[in-house]
Amino acid sequence: MDDNTAHRIKKRLASVAHTLGLLLAMLAICLPGIWIVLSSLRPTVEIMAKPPIWIPQELSFDAYIAMFSGIGRGGIPVLDYFRNSLIIAITSTVIAIAIGLAGGYAFARHRFRGKSGLFLGFMLTRTVPGIALSLPLFFVYARIGIIDTHFGLILAYVALNVPFTIWLIDGFFRQVPRDLAEAAQIDGCTRWQAFWQVEFPLAGPGIASAAIFAFLTSWNEFALASQLTRSTNSKTLPVGLLDYTAEFTIDWRGMCALAVVMIIPALTLTFIVQKHLVSGLTSGAVKG
Amino acid sequence: MNRLLSGVSAGVMMLVLCECGALAADLPGKFEGVTIDAKLIGGQQYEALYARIPEWEKLTGAKVNILSKKNHFELDKEIKSDIASGSLTWCVGSNHSSFAPQYPDIYTDLGALLPKEEIDAFVPANVAASTLGGKLVMLPRAQFDVSALYFQKSLYADDAKKAAYKEKYGQDLVPPDTWEEVTRQAEFFAAPPDFYGTQFAGKEEAINGRFYEMLVAEGGEYLDKDGKPAFNSEAGVRALDWFVNLYKAKAVPAGTTNYLWDDLGQGFASGTVAINLDWPGWAGFFNDPKSSKVAGNVGVKVQPKGSSGKRTGWSGHHGFSVTENCSNKEAAASLVWWLTNEDSQKLEAAAGPLPTRTAVWEWDIEQAKTDPYKTEVLKAFQEAAQNAFPVPQTAEWIEISNAVYPELQAAILGDKTSKEALDSAAEKATAILEEAGKL
Amino acid sequence: MLSAQRLGFGGRLGRMTRAPVNVAIMKFPRLSAPTLLLLPALIVLAAVVIVPLALSLYSSFTPFRLTRPYTFFVFIGLRNYITLLSDPDFWAAFGRTVLLLTIALNLEMVLGLGLAMLVERASRGQRFLRTLMMFPMMFSPILVGFQFKFMFNDNVGLVNNALQGLGLTDRAIPWLIEGPLAFFSILVAEVWSSTAVFAILILAGLLAMPKEPIEAARVDGCTPWQTFRYVTWPFIMPFAYIAMTIRSLDVARAYDIVKIMTDGGPAKRTELLWTIIARTGYSDAKMGLANAMAYVSILLSILFTVYFYRKLAAARTQIGSEW
Repeated sequence: MDDNTAHRIKKRLASVAHTLGLLLAMLAICLPGIWIVLSSLRPTVEIMAKPPIWIPQELSFDAYIAMFSGIGRGGIPVLDYFRNSLIIAITSTVIAIAIGLAGGYAFARHRFRGKSGLFLGFMLTRTVPGIALSLPLFFVYARIGIIDTHFGLILAYVALNVPFTIWLIDGFFRQVPRDLAEAAQIDGCTRWQAFWQVEFPLAGPGIASAAIFAFLTSWNEFALASQLTRSTNSKTLPVGLLDYTAEFTIDWRGMCALAVVMIIPALTLTFIVQKHLVSGLTSGAVKG
Repeated sequence: MNRLLSGVSAGVMMLVLCECGALAADLPGKFEGVTIDAKLIGGQQYEALYARIPEWEKLTGAKVNILSKKNHFELDKEIKSDIASGSLTWCVGSNHSSFAPQYPDIYTDLGALLPKEEIDAFVPANVAASTLGGKLVMLPRAQFDVSALYFQKSLYADDAKKAAYKEKYGQDLVPPDTWEEVTRQAEFFAAPPDFYGTQFAGKEEAINGRFYEMLVAEGGEYLDKDGKPAFNSEAGVRALDWFVNLYKAKAVPAGTTNYLWDDLGQGFASGTVAINLDWPGWAGFFNDPKSSKVAGNVGVKVQPKGSSGKRTGWSGHHGFSVTENCSNKEAAASLVWWLTNEDSQKLEAAAGPLPTRTAVWEWDIEQAKTDPYKTEVLKAFQEAAQNAFPVPQTAEWIEISNAVYPELQAAILGDKTSKEALDSAAEKATAILEEAGKL
Repeated sequence: MLSAQRLGFGGRLGRMTRAPVNVAIMKFPRLSAPTLLLLPALIVLAAVVIVPLALSLYSSFTPFRLTRPYTFFVFIGLRNYITLLSDPDFWAAFGRTVLLLTIALNLEMVLGLGLAMLVERASRGQRFLRTLMMFPMMFSPILVGFQFKFMFNDNVGLVNNALQGLGLTDRAIPWLIEGPLAFFSILVAEVWSSTAVFAILILAGLLAMPKEPIEAARVDGCTPWQTFRYVTWPFIMPFAYIAMTIRSLDVARAYDIVKIMTDGGPAKRTELLWTIIARTGYSDAKMGLANAMAYVSILLSILFTVYFYRKLAAARTQIGSEW
């Protein structure tokens, strides 16, 4: 009896500690972000105030209205940037995932000569610092005329994302027991069917996290985008952030507003995709 | 339009043509079917002007194809990349007096393409700063920058403060006219961590620029007449000591060596800084109750002078250039003229930036008649502009700047003495110039 | 049960070059399945990385200056590398980068692990929490840089305001100025923006983990710590190392953050490889020298990558043998 109560109290305490820990962690994660969101809604005089004004006195959407007001009234071509970012990030993510699936499957399921070396080689392509890459890439792109195009940036982002999509997907395919696909094949599936109907759904969480990564990397990438884009033809949102800086001044509030515009779709997409992290697990087939 | 400009004799031919042909009245001209590729500085402060491009297209029949719109530092990277990869295929580019000396050869002489009376309509100092080795490489737009002294007026109206200052220093408390007074008042006003006397930009080209102008005000020179670094002189030590002493006395925020212009602007607007040497771009921001706590309390005065009697006036301006590679330089020059003509400058100046045409200065001040703050700002900056000087026109300026500023920071933070820091900076700068074959 | 051979390749080549490979090779010239599957990745990487890389490797042997294109064709051998070897500023930056990487990666891993376990144990609002957990990943590094620069501003910044408001200090702490503090501030920004990467990967691992071994451990009377140490941890270790490797490659994205927060200053106190390379390459326009620096720093990345990669292979073998 006593033991039981003690156990219950312990459990209760653990649960409270857990909730508290979660709350604190989420606060630490969200506060700097929320500060940016608030900054976009408050007049600058409140943001950098001393003594600080903790409770917003005045909220307005002025910065957002200005953003869409057109050139000369504080506006920037945000719709163009948005379109470019969306096209580039989505296309490059889809392609990177497709290539990553093929590559990851090859690494997880096939044996071949030089596998380890190749695997490492793929990863090492990412050790190149952006600075060593951006100028030569610019040379090559300038020669073949794909500067300031969607295609150029998509190609660069696919290359940026492929090594780790391969790696992640490989890791997750390894978690899927090979026997399952073999069983399906014995049951009369082709290898292709076995892949799509058995292994692919089980590797779902891996593919989902790889997709989230690839998307967010492309969505937020700045260094290459600033070198390879030039005008509204292909400029993406992160490059657009700099429209709020002039030589000696910065419109921090406008920048925050654009940041919020950038964050909303990323957050929405992440929210949609993340549920696949758990799908494929419910069947409990993973244990093999 | 026949292409008169080709081959090596272009310059000479143009000179002849200009004398007999091109008159101001002919501008903007007719360029049916011509397309001008342009790279322009982007950002909301700079783009309002580009709304005037369609009108130029209509008048001339030419088309403008904007290849790129970027922040100035990014544009600088892009132009360098273009030079490096041999893809300078465009005609018109945004330029800046501080960046222009890095690429002296890619831009053509606008003096040969435009009538003299048009060029004479600009403020002579601005034209001089746009001229490299006798070539007018850009036409200045109404984005001229020189600093003036912003201060909180209420501090100088406070009777208790006036009396205390008088008692301590035996002088009246009035907005400062020399850097010595600035130091004294900054120390007097400072009450860290809530209030600071003044502040300065502490990194990158910003601190080097501030040091440069202080050096000139103290009677020194950055490069001597042979182009050799000469800033480690006595005047140099005095100039650097000004920064060091303020930092030591805690009259400036402790973070000042990491400040760039944005931090300075936010700092003064927060009402925690008494005196602030800053750019004209902030004038509106400081006096807007939505962005600044000191709105209504801002005074503006010409920059103080150093011990040599000279005032500090490190300046720069934006402009537009035409490339040597351009296939239709006349059309390009006409566009550059259009973007810097009186109507264009009025459009830009109306939003706050300073003009570079004499007539537009007058117009601007006339417009501000009913607004005492704006009048004060314009008068102060007009006076400040008379003391303006550009950076030394050497291609290595930015590189020297990058080598020098960490040394200046080291002195300010107390890692080195001013003399040590300047000697080692001069050594590095000399090495850079020697490597470039300039010494 | 999964066997070691299926789960990992254990780092030993010998075991891999067995019969199936020979069959594939015999079918030559028809491309084997793995070749076909890997071809797209190879093509893209070759186009975007290998060719530019060769160009920049070459230019590290020239005095290439952006503003003087002809210098691209002047060969100076190892001079850039020799300049570097004797440059104390460069080596100071090198050491500082290693230090930052080591601290940041370990801290991010510990925090990410904690975060993932907290979220995994939450019974309600999982979806919401998972999305929230990735919140920092949605901020562009430039923005993170400005945000933390303003927060750590000594005069009007949020941090000092809060500390002074709470009466914890009466001075303006110069966060971005003093050596260790500036390093710490950069670390905070970096950890804030990247811990989510670890958390999400480890969480995916936790979610993919079979529940039976944990149940079994509990039935056998293991303490929670023992369960974690001997059941959970070995299983998620490969995911942690994947995250480690990815981050050690990707950490250069911190460049934007550092560039805006301190740009290596003041007086080079926070100079890192990325800031020194970017300044030399573009601002000073000395691209040849910058590329030489980049190649020295690639060595560093390779070391980190290979190290974690071997750890990963070892971790995989370990779960294989335990289950």
